[in-house]
Amino acid sequence: MPEKRKNMALVALTCIFLYGFLLWAVIKPVDAQSVSERRPLAAPPAASWDAVFSGKFMTDFEEYALDQFPLRDGLRTVKAITSLYAFRQKDNNGVYMQDGYISKLDYPLDMPSVDYAASRFRYVYEQYMEDKDMAVYLSVIPDKNYYMAEEHSAPALDYAGLTAALRDRLDFARYIDIFPFLELSDYYRTDSHWRQENITDAARYLAGQMGVTLSGGYTQSLAEVPFYGVYYGQAALPLPGEELYCLSSAALEDCRAYDYETRTYIPIYDPEQAEGRDPYAFFLAGPKSLLKIENPNATTGKELILFRDSFGSSIAPLLAEGYASITLVDIRYISPQMLGQFISFTNQDVLFLYSTSVLNNSETIK
Amino acid sequence: MLFSSVTFLFYFLPVVVALYFISPMCLKNGVLLLASLFFYGWGEPRYLAFMLLSITQGYIFGLLIEKYRGKGRTKALLTASVLFSLLLLGYCKYADFFISNFNLATGLSVPLLKIALPVGISFYTFQVISYTVDVYRGTVPAQRNYVDLAAYIAMFPQLVAGPIVRYADIAGQLRDRTHSLSGAAMGVRRFIIGLSKKVLIANQLGALVAVFKESAEPSVLFYWLYAAAYMLHIYFDFSGYSDMAIGLGYVFGFRFPENFDYPYISRSITEFWRRWHISLGAWFRDYLYIPLGGNRVGKPRWLFNIAVVWAATGLWHGAAWNFALWGLLFAALLMMEKLWLSGWLKRHRVISHLYVLFLVMVSFVIFDAESVAAAFSRISAMFGGQAMPVLTVESVYYLKSYLVILALALIGATPLPKKLAALAGKGRYTRVACHIAEPVACLVLLTVCTAYLIDGSFNPFLYFRF
Repeated sequence: MPEKRKNMALVALTCIFLYGFLLWAVIKPVDAQSVSERRPLAAPPAASWDAVFSGKFMTDFEEYALDQFPLRDGLRTVKAITSLYAFRQKDNNGVYMQDGYISKLDYPLDMPSVDYAASRFRYVYEQYMEDKDMAVYLSVIPDKNYYMAEEHSAPALDYAGLTAALRDRLDFARYIDIFPFLELSDYYRTDSHWRQENITDAARYLAGQMGVTLSGGYTQSLAEVPFYGVYYGQAALPLPGEELYCLSSAALEDCRAYDYETRTYIPIYDPEQAEGRDPYAFFLAGPKSLLKIENPNATTGKELILFRDSFGSSIAPLLAEGYASITLVDIRYISPQMLGQFISFTNQDVLFLYSTSVLNNSETIK
Repeated sequence: MLFSSVTFLFYFLPVVVALYFISPMCLKNGVLLLASLFFYGWGEPRYLAFMLLSITQGYIFGLLIEKYRGKGRTKALLTASVLFSLLLLGYCKYADFFISNFNLATGLSVPLLKIALPVGISFYTFQVISYTVDVYRGTVPAQRNYVDLAAYIAMFPQLVAGPIVRYADIAGQLRDRTHSLSGAAMGVRRFIIGLSKKVLIANQLGALVAVFKESAEPSVLFYWLYAAAYMLHIYFDFSGYSDMAIGLGYVFGFRFPENFDYPYISRSITEFWRRWHISLGAWFRDYLYIPLGGNRVGKPRWLFNIAVVWAATGLWHGAAWNFALWGLLFAALLMMEKLWLSGWLKRHRVISHLYVLFLVMVSFVIFDAESVAAAFSRISAMFGGQAMPVLTVESVYYLKSYLVILALALIGATPLPKKLAALAGKGRYTRVACHIAEPVACLVLLTVCTAYLIDGSFNPFLYFRF
C-alpha cells in the first residue's frame, strides 16, 4: 500500500509539473524583453511551409519556448545556486563572485585583438594628428579581474603584456598609468564599470599628467533607484541593488553635452536612464558615438578629444572642469573615416582611454 | 527533438501521453507512430523519407520472406533487404568517407556528396535488419500490420539513440501490453534519473571538454582532466539517454532491454563490453559474429572474426579512421585477454580495474579525436610527450571548478547509489522515509534539470551522430 501511494505521488507530482508548466506557457502573455538579461526575448515563430521544411520553424520555436518559459528568471537563479553552491563550481557561465563582487572570466590575452585595436588607434593618429601639434596620451583601465582573479584562483589576462604591447604599438602617445590609483572597491559590485565617486584620484592624476589641474570640491548625489549592473542579470543570483552616485561641482553646473547623433543637448546625468535597461547610461546617456561637453566657465582654452569606451562616460564629467570642451568619440559606433566631418583636429589634446576588456575583445571597434 | 529540451518535456511529451492514454488500445500504436514521425520530423523533416523507405522495405521483404519460406527464394529476399538497408546507410553515412579515401589513394578528385547524416539512421537500420533476419530465421512471424511494424522501428523513445530493440523482444508487447501505475512510476523515476544524468552531469562535463578544446594554454594536467571528463561525459550522456528511453518505454507499457550495467567497474575489456552499449554488442554478436562462425572455428579464423566485428563496431560509430582504430584497439585487447590475459586479470583485482579504466580512457581519447594524428598527439600530450607545462592556472582552476561534479560522476558510475537505495529500502524507518523522499527528490531533480535547460548551455547528445 505505501508503495502504491508513493507511485501515485510520483506520477501525480510529475504530471502536475509538466502539465502545469505546459498550460502556463500557453496562456502566459509573451514578454518582449528580459530586464535582468537586458535583451529582447524570442517571439512566437511564424509557421510556413518553407520554415517548417527547412527546420527554421522548429529552431525558432525551441528558442521561443526557452525564452518565454514561465518563471524564467527564478529558474535561472535555481541553476546559478545549484552550480555555485551545490556543485561548488567556481563560476556560472563564466561569471564568478569573489568577496561580494561579480566579474566575468576574460582570458587569455588576445594579442591579435590588441593589435587590431592599436592599428585602428594608429589609423586615427595618422589620419588626423600626425602632422599637427597635438599632445597624444594613452591610458588603460583594468577590468575587475585584475583585482579579483588571483584571489579566486581564476585565470586572467596578462595585463603587463597587454599594456606593454599597446605602448609599443602606439609609440606616438605618452602612456599614463592609472593602475595604482584604482582598487576593487572603485568598481560596482554587480557591474563591469568603475564608480564615479571613487575615481576622482585617478581623474586628477590623469588630468595632471596632461597638464590640467582639477580642483575637485564635488558634491555627491544618489540616484533614486537601486543600480543593478550588467553582471547582476548574468549571475542570476539574488543580490541586493547598489547605490548609484554622481558627482556635481560648481564647474560642472553650467556644462552642457551636445549629442551629434540627435543634434540636441543632453543632460550630463540623466536620472531617467538609471531606470532603463542599461542604468549606466545615467552617465552621458550611455552608448553614444560622438558627444561634446562644453564648459562655458573654463579658465583655459584647452580642449580634449577623448577616444573612449563606456568607462569614459563617467570620468569625462570630472575632466570637464579643466577644459573648454571635451569631445568624446566612441569608434565602436562611428567609423574613424567619418570623424573629419565632425571634428576639426587642430591643437587639442588627445587621450585614448580604453578598458582592458574592450582591448582584448576589440572586434567591435570600427 | 532532444529529450533534454523544453520542447520535448513541456510540449511534446505531455500532449503525446494524454493522446496515448485517451486512445483505445487498438489506436495506441497509431498514436505512437504519428507521435514518432512528428518527433523525428521536428528535427529532420527532410529525412523522414529515408526512414519510411527503410521501414517499408523491411515490411515488404518480411512478408515476402514469410510467403516464400521453404521455396528457396528466402535467402535472396533476405540478402536484398539487408543490402537495401546497408546501401541506404552506406550512402548516407559512408559515401564521403569512401570517396575521400579513394581520392587519397588514387590522386583523383571525385567530388564529395556532402550528405548530412540523418539522425538515428544507424539505429533504425539495425532494427530493420534484425527484423528481416529474425523473420528469415523463423524466430518471429512477419508483421502484417504496417502500423505496428512502423511503430516498433520509429518509436520515438528509442529511435535516435537506442537501445537497439529487437523485434523479437517487443513483438508480443506491440499487440498486447499492460499499462499500470507501478509501470508509469517506474518509467517516470527512470526518465528523471536519465534526464539528471544527462543535464546535471554529462552536459557539465561536456562543457569542461569544450573549455579544454578551446584552451590556448594546454598542460599535462588539462589533458588528463579532459580524458577523465570525456570518459565520464560519454557514459552519462549515453546511459542517461538509454535510461530516458527505457523510462518512456515503461510509461507506454513496453519493456526495452537494458543498455548499460556500470561498465566502469569492469575488470576486463571483455567484461566492459558486456556492460557497455549492451544492445549494440548483442546485435553484432548475433547478426555478424555468430554468422561468421563465432569461436567455433579455427584460431586464425576466430581472431579474424573478432577483428571484423570490432572494425565494424568502430565504423558503426562514425565514418572516420579514428573510429576504425578505436574498434581495432578493442579487437586487439579482446584477443589478448582471450589468449593470455584473462586468468591474470582475475587474480589481480585492483590492477584489473585500473587496466580497464586506463585503456577505456585512452580509447575514448581516440574516439573523440578529429583524426588519427590528433588522437596520437593528445595521447602523447597526456604523457608529457609534448613541450607544455605540467599544470597552468587555467587547468587547476577548472579541476577545482569541476571537482564535485567529477566526484559525483565517479560515484554515480558505480552501483553504490543503487546499493545504498536498496539498503535504505530494507530498514523499517528508512523505508518510510524513502517513500516520502523519493517523489520529492524526483520533483527537485526535475526542477533543477528544467532550470539548467532554461539557462541554456551545452546540450547535444553525443550518440545522435551515430
